Amino acid sequence: MSEHERWVDAAGAYVLEAMPEDEREAFERHLDGCAICREEVAELLPAAHALPMASPQMMPPPELKARIMAEVEREAALLAQAGTADRPAPEPRPRRRWLVGWRLAPVAAALLVAGVLAGTALDRDPSRPAEPVQRTVAVRVDLERAPGGSAELRVSGDEATLVGTGMPAPPDGRIYQVWIMPKGSNTPEPTDVLFAPRRDGSIVAAIPDVRDAKMVLVTDEPLGGSDEPSRTPFMTASPS
Amino acid sequence: MGRDLTVLADEEVMQLVRRGDARAFELIYERHSAAAFSLAYRMMGTRGAAEDVTQDAFLSMWRSGARYDRARGSVRTWILGIVHHRAIDALRRATVHDKRRAGDEGIEERFEARERTDVEAARREEAGAVRGALRSLPSDQSQVIELAYFGGFTHTEIADMLDAPVGTVKGRMRLGLKKMRAQLGEGKVAPV
Repeated sequence: MSEHERWVDAAGAYVLEAMPEDEREAFERHLDGCAICREEVAELLPAAHALPMASPQMMPPPELKARIMAEVEREAALLAQAGTADRPAPEPRPRRRWLVGWRLAPVAAALLVAGVLAGTALDRDPSRPAEPVQRTVAVRVDLERAPGGSAELRVSGDEATLVGTGMPAPPDGRIYQVWIMPKGSNTPEPTDVLFAPRRDGSIVAAIPDVRDAKMVLVTDEPLGGSDEPSRTPFMTASPS
Repeated sequence: MGRDLTVLADEEVMQLVRRGDARAFELIYERHSAAAFSLAYRMMGTRGAAEDVTQDAFLSMWRSGARYDRARGSVRTWILGIVHHRAIDALRRATVHDKRRAGDEGIEERFEARERTDVEAARREEAGAVRGALRSLPSDQSQVIELAYFGGFTHTEIADMLDAPVGTVKGRMRLGLKKMRAQLGEGKVAPV
């Protein structure tokens, strides 16, 4: 069986996003070298893109708009405060590149200039099916700065999510920043993961790559983040 | 007095969204939230879950406006793609594979979108054409397409469900979409 024959019926499942992750990645590698399959994907894609129109059309409730706009206006104010112009497009991730090209970036990367995201920094690539949490790592929280605060690091594959409650807002004009200390090093390296707690004190921050992390640290930094920590860590965890 | 953004095309409005313009984002929300919410509701099956998915999708869109590339398609397609990804994520994350569908329950929660503009009227016509194209397919083809796209099931899950070989399921998906593409492209489907 030739490489192409192996994938002869795959385009439909691909454009419907009905392939398991590993098969999708293998098919995308095949697409790199197979013009026939690329053509078929391009042919079927408009039909898949039309499918949402088959849903009964409904108006969302007004309170949904109110919730979304409250968050957007808060972040817009922070962006304006940080004096940002365009938010730069982050580097694309090699996911579903033939399918639609709409790969969403981690939110922190989308906010590189402003470096501010009040409420949540969780926004992993939505084109990726969720991976199960493989293990949970305890996070040490400075209880003098966060009395009653607690957090944990949920590690799933190469990624991790910092989840916590009871966290205070960072000092005025500052934002929490995640740092990675690589194995074999004692120097924290900056990440683009910047976050502030929600109003209820909860936090959720997606950390895209903890593969080589000996330690994950959180400090409060000026809006936009820092290249070197300017404060002692507020939270620490050892994912490895 | 602010600039009237409503005269701008989506692609132009997205340039403002990229700069962090909340009013521009609001306009995009106004234009596409009904389609987004409708898709989310169809996939998730309950109003609460549909709201969560729609909220996640629009906030994600707001925070990653720089990712929009007009060369790759319309803003609407982009947003609906985000909604679809989010809903699939939510469905596949469920520990119990309980993929409820709006068609199966919660019918009382529906509230029809009102027809507001000529654009909306045109979209209704388009929606009718898509539903017509789906209905015109052999049932075994429309079934696998709906289970995959709206149910969030993988082809292997569908094969298990239908007790059919995976290759057969994939073939039905491909053939069904090919026919839909042809019908929609040629305008052979009568609006519903």
